[in-house]
Amino acid sequence: MTTAIEARNLGKWYRVRGMGAPTLFGAVSQRLRRQDPGKFWALRNVSFDIPQGKTIGVIGPNGSGKSSLLGLTAGTITPSEGYVRAQGRISSLLELGAGFHPDLTGRENVFLNAALLGIPREDIQRRFSHIVEFAGLDEFIDMPVKHYSSGMYVRLGFAVAVEVNPDILLIDEVLAVGDIAFQLKCLDRIREFQRKGKTLLFVSHALQTVEEFCDEVFLIHHGQLAERGNPSDMILKYIRTYMGEGGGLFTQEYGTREAEITGVTFRDETGAENAVLATGKPMWVDIGYVAHQRIEKPVFGYSIKTGNGFYIFGSNTQLAGHSIPFIEGEGLLRLKIDPLTLMHGNFFLSLSIHSWDHTRQFHRREDWYPFAVRNASQEPGLFQLRSAWENLFE
Amino acid sequence: MNFLRTIWERRDLFANLVARDLKQRYKGSVLGFLWSILTPLFMAVIYVFFLRLLAGRGVPTEDIIIGVFAWQFTMQCVNSGMTCITGNANLVKKVAFPRIILPTVNVAAGLINYLLSLIVQFALVAILLGIKGSGMSGWAVLVPVVIVYHSLFNLALALFVSSVNVYFRDTQHLVGVLLSAWFFVSPVMYNLSFAEHLAARWPAAFDLYMLNPMAGVITAYRALIIPGVEFPWSAYTAAGLLIPLALLWLSYILFQRLQRYFADML
Repeated sequence: MTTAIEARNLGKWYRVRGMGAPTLFGAVSQRLRRQDPGKFWALRNVSFDIPQGKTIGVIGPNGSGKSSLLGLTAGTITPSEGYVRAQGRISSLLELGAGFHPDLTGRENVFLNAALLGIPREDIQRRFSHIVEFAGLDEFIDMPVKHYSSGMYVRLGFAVAVEVNPDILLIDEVLAVGDIAFQLKCLDRIREFQRKGKTLLFVSHALQTVEEFCDEVFLIHHGQLAERGNPSDMILKYIRTYMGEGGGLFTQEYGTREAEITGVTFRDETGAENAVLATGKPMWVDIGYVAHQRIEKPVFGYSIKTGNGFYIFGSNTQLAGHSIPFIEGEGLLRLKIDPLTLMHGNFFLSLSIHSWDHTRQFHRREDWYPFAVRNASQEPGLFQLRSAWENLFE
Repeated sequence: MNFLRTIWERRDLFANLVARDLKQRYKGSVLGFLWSILTPLFMAVIYVFFLRLLAGRGVPTEDIIIGVFAWQFTMQCVNSGMTCITGNANLVKKVAFPRIILPTVNVAAGLINYLLSLIVQFALVAILLGIKGSGMSGWAVLVPVVIVYHSLFNLALALFVSSVNVYFRDTQHLVGVLLSAWFFVSPVMYNLSFAEHLAARWPAAFDLYMLNPMAGVITAYRALIIPGVEFPWSAYTAAGLLIPLALLWLSYILFQRLQRYFADML
């Protein structure tokens, strides 16, 4: 199998000082003061080979160097050390609609954008109606793009970018654009690229999508290629080790803090501490709390979301008919889910303590606790439905 | 040459960007392209009038028209070249394509503009000469050679200012000052006869004066178009004509070196 992308000792640093618009005075004064510009390594010591036809996901906290890696591969950024080489034609979906000129019409911009991406003019002419249809911009194609909505802008950008017939496609978070229908169209297009044996390098925070699409996942942290491996293992490792560090992107915490959630332990059916649960088996969540004052009839609630942030289920002690007369001081509460009907994937648990009439939120931790589910059966999907088959024909 | 191959390989992009440049230049203005004729014409009228008023001696109007149109071409290339990288930051940071296309597009668009305005310029000059009872010189057929040469010089300037401006934003202010000084040391609103007493008193200073490529270029236009105007051939004027080529080579190397880190500096 041939190598599509090869990186050796790849590194990129930026100056910490003097990042703004450079001026002659700034440069001279820096020289005179012998000031060390202060290097910040956005990426360092990164070496890898990506075989042709593979889809590689790149995950990591914000600012870990994912976009630098893509920029270096695309050739928009020059490495400070080492190299990255790509075999074949690269197309990047880094910034959709980059190079659109606001005064030109959609039609003119399609041709301009195509030329930027290196698509021959004849190809675009032939495929023009297809592009417009894909973007869903029939009536607006002769309107200056400055009057477009941001969604229309990005849709047109995507429609042009996927017309390139690249050997390697770089994708940076662009699947989070447009409405659901357009996102599904985009994902379809990605699958088509995969079927055609293209190499894809895919940066995303949508962990569910990464897990679904990628053959392998690179975990990037502090500018280093921390680890690479199969998607579900890497994603689990990522959410357990690094999440929260990115700061506020996934997790948030609020409340008046009369009562606080102190610690949470996931336990499997044997009662052992384990954040990797099995489909069809029980899942226990031990919730430690402390109430700084006596609280009458508190309500504990939980909810679960997928790695993409899709809300699956939520409930609380009130809805479940489990009454807690009062809490005071430290305590422990167990949430029992039996059987766990979630399927293979990574999930986030949110917990909250609030007053019985929902007027006061004492403490809420949103998407705070990650856990993973492994599925022994061959069945695909998000949930396990209790299903059975019966022969009704004679 | 590598440069020509790059442009040829991306000719689609090149043509598209030139079209974009021309479209956007006059978008939203009523007179549109007419401005690239009206502006130098107004300037020519102003110069003719005030020079006669202040210096007490006139310069043939056709001399000034030729000078002003040529100067306008260079100034446009420098000014738009200045921002052709910084103004397209989004493009440069996000899309991989040969950066050298951007300043080249600027000069090409400026050239198209110049060629179109030359039609008007030639008509005017022919009329003015006709009034005086003479016609255009037969040498005028060689004007395209000067145009090519003039364009190469402008490209050298555009490559230089566009790349340096990315690293030092002082460039735009500095160049503004230098341009107005350069305007006066180039025979734009006057002709070489104004430098005659300089030549008589300090021949060395005149030689230095002719090292200015703009002095050579504008005088070459006049010498080819207007009968009776001589190009003052000397070792210095010849050297002055070589400077643009050397500058083009240096600017090209400088640009290619600097462009590696454009994305970091924008």
